Amino acid sequence: MSADHSRDPCPLIIVNDFGGAFAMGALGGTVWHGIKGFRNSPIGERRIGAISAIKARAPVVGGNFGVWGGLFSTFDCTVKAIRKREDHWNAIIAGFFTGGALAMRGGWKQTRNSAITCACVLGVFEGVGMMFQRFMAVQNKPMAPDFGEAPAAPAPLGA
Amino acid sequence: MVWPFGGNNNKEQEAAPESSQQLQQTLGFDPSTISDVSNIIKSPGVFDTNSLHPLAGLDKDLEYLDLEDEQLSPLEGSQGLIASRGWSDDLCYGTGTAYLLGLGTGGLYGFREGVANLPKGADVSGKLKLNTILNHVTRRGPFLGNSAGVLAVTYNIINSTLDSFRGKHDTYNSLAAGALAGAIFKSSKGIKPMAISSGLMVLAAGAWCGLKELLS
Repeated sequence: MSADHSRDPCPLIIVNDFGGAFAMGALGGTVWHGIKGFRNSPIGERRIGAISAIKARAPVVGGNFGVWGGLFSTFDCTVKAIRKREDHWNAIIAGFFTGGALAMRGGWKQTRNSAITCACVLGVFEGVGMMFQRFMAVQNKPMAPDFGEAPAAPAPLGA
Repeated sequence: MVWPFGGNNNKEQEAAPESSQQLQQTLGFDPSTISDVSNIIKSPGVFDTNSLHPLAGLDKDLEYLDLEDEQLSPLEGSQGLIASRGWSDDLCYGTGTAYLLGLGTGGLYGFREGVANLPKGADVSGKLKLNTILNHVTRRGPFLGNSAGVLAVTYNIINSTLDSFRGKHDTYNSLAAGALAGAIFKSSKGIKPMAISSGLMVLAAGAWCGLKELLS
């Protein structure tokens, strides 16, 4: 697997991922809670209901996304630095630690379950990514052009 | 990546017709002085390998090796203190920095508050003390971080929109984006809080631009 050259080198990319995940969460949360607040408000207060739902919840969604993305990126960089290779296991290991770290306050059992769940989810992501990669590779496989049927071998002399 | 919200991005494409001076530079000779083949062959500098080779002039700029997605932003005024590949870099790094700073500052404040409010008594367990501190940290940190992050997202989106409409990246854009972002942030609280937060954001944007000027 070749490195992705459009991403910055390791310690810096953590800040980038924090910000990117936060922005994604905040904008997505605005849409999500805007619609939810609109639908859950009584008629006549729908606009103000949507706005207060966005104000109260969109930053929190952004924060949750941001912390997840940033922690994941931090663990990903750490795992890369320790293992000195880039493969699909990096994401799975990083997901394991991220899930564990985020659930740490819930106690040992909660931490373990969350870590395993998160690693499984990341494993599925990586698996789907790998499947797509294979699929694309098959699509672009070089093929010999079809020249039609080969001419029949000439009859042996004297036959 | 192309900025999705409109603006005039095609300014560079309307290139002026090349002057003979520029042609002289790229071709190695002036095409208007040439009338027939023998003239071409005889003119000096035509078979200069440096100008015929496609990778000639590597000492000037590595443009053949630049990948399209990794080029620094060509926008006027954006080649400053911090290298940026465009609006997505500005947004991600700006938001990430603001969020982390807010989270850290709020977390430290909450930590100090938690230490000051530790439950007293002989039979207080360590777990209770730890929980007190953690509760204070997680109350203050995310609140400040989220607010700073949302402000930074708004500021960067407005700034990039202004950049793409005006075709340059300068201090006025920053100040205007700060004012608008501050106003939007407090837009449901009334005119006075809007003005205050707008003013604070203008100050912050101005301080940032001043710092960039000072350091670059």
